[in-house]
Amino acid sequence: METRWSVRLSQMTTTNETTTKPVVPKDSKDATKKTKKTKNEVEELSEEDQKLKEELELLVDILGESNEKLYPDALERLKNAIRTSTSSMTAVPKPLKFLRPHYDRIMSIYDKWPKGANKVNLAAILSVLGMAVDGANDTLKYRLLAGRDDDFGQWGHEYMRHLALEIGEEFHSRIDENKNTKDLLDLSLEIVPFFLKHNAEADACDLLLEVENIDKIVEYVDENTFARVGRYLVSCAPLLSPPDDEVCLSTAYNIYLQNNKLPDALALAIRLDDERMVRAVFDATDDQLVRKQLGLLVGRQRQWFSSEDSEIQEVVSNTKLNEYFSYLAKELNLEEPKHPQDIYKSYLENSLLGAASTPDPMKQNLASVFVNGFVNCAYGKDEIIETDPENKSRIYHTKNAGMTCSVASLGLLHMWDVVEGLGVLDNYLYSPEECIKAGALLGVGVVSAGVHDETDPALALLGEYLENQSNPLRTSAIIGLGLAYAGSPRAELSDLLLPLVVDSDLSMEISSLAALSLGLIFVGTANGDITTSIMQALLERSSAELSDKWARFMVLGLGLLYVGKADEIEEIIETIKVIEHPIALMLEVLVTICSYCGSGNVLQIQKLLRECSTRPYEDEDEDDEDEDEEVDIAPHEAGIAPGAPAIGSDESESGAEDANDTEMQDASEANESVNTEIETETSSGDKHFNKAEDRQEAANVKAFCVLGVALIAMGEEIGSEMVMRHFGHLMHYGDAPIRRAVPLAMGLVSASNPEMKVYETLSRYSHDADLEVASNAVFAMGLVGSGTNNARIAQLLRQLAVYYSRDPDSLFMVRIAQGLLHLGKGTLTLNPLNNERLNLSRVALGGLLTVAVALLTPKSFILSQSPQMLYFMTLAIQPRMLVTVDENLEPIKVNVRVGQAVDVVGQVGNRKTITGWVTHTTPVLLAIGERAELEDDEYLPLTSTLEGIVILKKNPDFEAN
Amino acid sequence: MGQGQSGIGDRKNKGKKNEKPKPKYEPPVHTRSLRKKKKGPDSAQKLPSVYPATRCRLKLLKLERIKDHLLLEEEFVQNQERLRPTEDKIADERQKVDEMRGSPMTVGTLEELVDDDHAIVSTSTGPEYYVSIRSFVDKDPLEPGCTVLLHQKSVSVVGTLQDDADPMVSVMKIDKAPTESYSDIGGLEQQIQEIKEAVELPLTHPELYEEMGIKPPKGVILYGAPGTGKTLLAKAVANQTSASFLRIVGSELIQKYLGDGPRLCRQIFQIAGENAPSIVFIDEIDAIGSKRYESTSGGEREIQRTMLELLNQLDGFDDRGDVKVIMATNKMESLDPALIRPGRIDRKILFENPDSVTKRKILSIHTSKMSLAEDVDLDEIVTSKDDLSGADIKAICTEAGLLALRERRMKVTAQDFSSAKERVMKNKIEENLEGLYL
Repeated sequence: METRWSVRLSQMTTTNETTTKPVVPKDSKDATKKTKKTKNEVEELSEEDQKLKEELELLVDILGESNEKLYPDALERLKNAIRTSTSSMTAVPKPLKFLRPHYDRIMSIYDKWPKGANKVNLAAILSVLGMAVDGANDTLKYRLLAGRDDDFGQWGHEYMRHLALEIGEEFHSRIDENKNTKDLLDLSLEIVPFFLKHNAEADACDLLLEVENIDKIVEYVDENTFARVGRYLVSCAPLLSPPDDEVCLSTAYNIYLQNNKLPDALALAIRLDDERMVRAVFDATDDQLVRKQLGLLVGRQRQWFSSEDSEIQEVVSNTKLNEYFSYLAKELNLEEPKHPQDIYKSYLENSLLGAASTPDPMKQNLASVFVNGFVNCAYGKDEIIETDPENKSRIYHTKNAGMTCSVASLGLLHMWDVVEGLGVLDNYLYSPEECIKAGALLGVGVVSAGVHDETDPALALLGEYLENQSNPLRTSAIIGLGLAYAGSPRAELSDLLLPLVVDSDLSMEISSLAALSLGLIFVGTANGDITTSIMQALLERSSAELSDKWARFMVLGLGLLYVGKADEIEEIIETIKVIEHPIALMLEVLVTICSYCGSGNVLQIQKLLRECSTRPYEDEDEDDEDEDEEVDIAPHEAGIAPGAPAIGSDESESGAEDANDTEMQDASEANESVNTEIETETSSGDKHFNKAEDRQEAANVKAFCVLGVALIAMGEEIGSEMVMRHFGHLMHYGDAPIRRAVPLAMGLVSASNPEMKVYETLSRYSHDADLEVASNAVFAMGLVGSGTNNARIAQLLRQLAVYYSRDPDSLFMVRIAQGLLHLGKGTLTLNPLNNERLNLSRVALGGLLTVAVALLTPKSFILSQSPQMLYFMTLAIQPRMLVTVDENLEPIKVNVRVGQAVDVVGQVGNRKTITGWVTHTTPVLLAIGERAELEDDEYLPLTSTLEGIVILKKNPDFEAN
Repeated sequence: MGQGQSGIGDRKNKGKKNEKPKPKYEPPVHTRSLRKKKKGPDSAQKLPSVYPATRCRLKLLKLERIKDHLLLEEEFVQNQERLRPTEDKIADERQKVDEMRGSPMTVGTLEELVDDDHAIVSTSTGPEYYVSIRSFVDKDPLEPGCTVLLHQKSVSVVGTLQDDADPMVSVMKIDKAPTESYSDIGGLEQQIQEIKEAVELPLTHPELYEEMGIKPPKGVILYGAPGTGKTLLAKAVANQTSASFLRIVGSELIQKYLGDGPRLCRQIFQIAGENAPSIVFIDEIDAIGSKRYESTSGGEREIQRTMLELLNQLDGFDDRGDVKVIMATNKMESLDPALIRPGRIDRKILFENPDSVTKRKILSIHTSKMSLAEDVDLDEIVTSKDDLSGADIKAICTEAGLLALRERRMKVTAQDFSSAKERVMKNKIEENLEGLYL
């Protein structure tokens, strides 16, 4: 705020200078003719000005005299002179200029006068004159003295702004001194209507934000101003610090609710994560149709919401999603299934090796299956799994987990179509082969991801396998449940899965996956029971088990519970410190990043970056001093201290920095002798766990920090652009784990948003010497381009396919990326943000995060035994379509304009919200950053943002031509 | 590719992963898109643009957010540099590269890029060579026609010479501001205000225009009779502003060779764009900006083409951004209408001969540094009925001073002034008479 005002202030002063400069000759130049100078100056003025000046002086003289009868008239004339003066934007109005020399005199006159109407009027005039006087807050002072009875808007816009400026300054100094600010607030509330009336909504909001009473604005907005005020507040919110942002959003919510913009209010309620508010929106209308539209919006969010009304429940559960998607596919002529070869386009790969035999054909077959699944996702038809004459042969071209994935890909093909999908998978459920059966179970989960069926077929089918002794069946059933019920926190599910988490006799894999599934199902609920159970499990497990590669998913499960619950994590962070295993570090980071996801919180990003810049071996010195286990958390805490001062705080830690500096140098020297040191330290007995492991773990934690930077910046535009710069530095300076995480983080931030800047960078990383970095970069390229058919990425990936044609793992990744790129033949998206990037779908985010976490060490999961982890991606899959439906929810065709969205927040006038549009007939696809609007007024949409499924109502006032 | 990330971590990894099977062949990744990137690597570093441009808290918050992130970046990089300083290594590498480049290097022109590693170059000695491009050369700025450094023996490309702007253009940029300021201008208040609104304020306070919802003017043209202060005002603008100021005279744009004029014109605006915010002042624009007509003379046509280029630069396809144009002429009526249409030149500022009050001001400015005798009455020297321009008044002062010098006096008397005025007026009348015979 300060800056803004000071800009204005400086502008005021500069205008003063610049205008006086040309008019009044400089003293120095006239020094030789001092005698003539006074005469000269008088002559500078034109006749009119001279007259005005004399008149004003006369008026001031009258005020100075004792004849009170003349006062009112003189005041009135002064007022008129000031009010009617016009000026250019570079100049101070003439009357103000002429009266400035007399300012002190008028002030003393004012002090002498007795109370009364005249005094009040004079105060008002003084207040205006105060604008042209630098320094003291005289404008405000005299305004307060003048009272607020007269119509002070008459003094013009510049005056009001100046007043607002001084109120802001005064308010802060009074707050500092703990003084009463009631009068300032009252004055502000009088200024606000003036601003709102004069197209200065931003000023009105700014003023109220400044005096910390933004919620008052709800009373002042009307049908003309509410939209602009609401938009302004919503865009301010992500940039404000915590208590203010929620106030801002809930103010906007109230504004929308008051003006009956229910869908907008709903979006904010979802963003605020307040179920009471969501229900209030539903209760605010009696119109069943509007409620259905609201239900569709909630359904898009994939979040559980129960309604007594079965019709609403139906739309919330997305049961018709598949129907609409098939309609889209039919209208866009995309029903023809695609073969993986159509995607690879091998004939375009100018391979120098010719058609060399591909290494590890099993793996490539598996890749084909995934590609087939992704490309024909939700179309219900394909060329290699189902319609192949020797139906099952393709499945038998893979082995073990591969087979599981192949069968599960049938689930992808029939996504959202529970009835059909279960029918197809049913054949495989009775297969004697365990892997195939497991695949069918996984498929059941995939089919019902994002849709809820009243009959709960997934629960019925999968529930019984939870106690099965076979490992593949059991894990598949657990993952399947997690996928099918993500975001629908139902007690029966926690009853089923919790025992698996707590039972320490079970393998880490099963317990962790159960915890993960619970995390997904109860995402963002901060459920206490589950938290305690997972914590208990973590405490009971031995340290060897906690070092298992699967343990991270248990941690992730806990983290997911707290998605978006930044204010509820303190307690849990305290509890975490009890755990005496390095996994506690990971836990702390994951819980924090999940809870702050999408907030754009710069302080948290700073913390994470500092964490990343500490050296992994930094804590050696401390360890040598033989401290006990509390030190284990120390690198994290210490990580905050040694860095540069926090944003805004001044440099006070330079001493500490120096100390650390030397320490770090020691550490880096010690680096070379790490191995020997490890031996000495493991032999030092009383430690609960191995130091080497500790370090490894600490290094891995940094990878989570990198993902965290992405998660936090997501959903806030400036942040998500700026973090790309951080990633560049992390890649440049980071160690191997950090470097592996960077491409994934980049992919997360811009999922399905193929910006040239991003994928060009990723393409550079895809040739990295570290193959794991490279394969993650390849995957990230797929993620960035997912569902867009972006031709440039496709070309880059084809080149990579040639480049890695000898390396089965990397080639597998390239194929997956190619599949993702053409996800649903370019009709689906993985971006978790919807509703004009306002709402972050937690379920989608959870899915993406799970895959990213698995890929932090690609060799241990997706590239080896557990490729099925990729299926967590299905949680994020959503159609990027706009389907318009009539009042019976039947699709109808209307013309819409689709174009690049324009940011109109705070802009003057009624600008077009889209640019470069093309007219299409619905259904249409919307890319990120695109917006649609109806071409004519024949129909009225029930929601202001045309995305997903939109209900249209006939416009009664519409006249064709 | 891949040279962009020659971090230390990279090298460390290479050491570790030696045993890994490395793919034998690295097919070239075509990094360059066909269209030339305007600012090369800068585009990746660009900060997000901030909307709205009006003064409001939202803008402030957004800018603060960017600042926060930049601070984080600085902190992170500083920490990392402190942990493992890289300067020495960079210096080492630089030295190695210098060794490889050898010295001296030949300067040549890149004729054609064959693939990512090979190019055809020519040198001033004549023959063209097919040579390799060394791997350490930054390939982004390489494009046909650019100047490259060649190894003396192998003639392989070892570097590029970046600055391709004509040195003639850089001369036009003024480093030293003229001494004339607004206070040296008598009168012209109206004109000063207009030029400020059109040229200075858009550069210093763009938000004022944004708030109003208008686009600020792109340029102004100053026109009027000779000697009315057009150039003087431009000088004052240059003195006042902190923006970079480029000044050219219209006749400078007329060059000996075909195509040179338009090229110079382009380069001027390119430099102006690079140094934005900037003001381009083109004096005597009628030298190239006169009306187009059928012409057989090649020279005429070239001048017209130069003007066409100027038209394009003023309001062409590319957005000029923070470049404002001031033109000055005393033959407004002979200018091509396309040049002064709104959108190119939005404000036309007329300079008239001064009225009596202004004349007084001008006179007092000119005489303020002269030593005057007691008997001089400035009011008598300029009377309202004389048709004098600002330059005439200056001429009177100079003439009077010269007369005083002739008589070895230390003071200029009223007599000097009156005879000086007579002389000047006589010359002026003669000029006018001459005009009658034409």
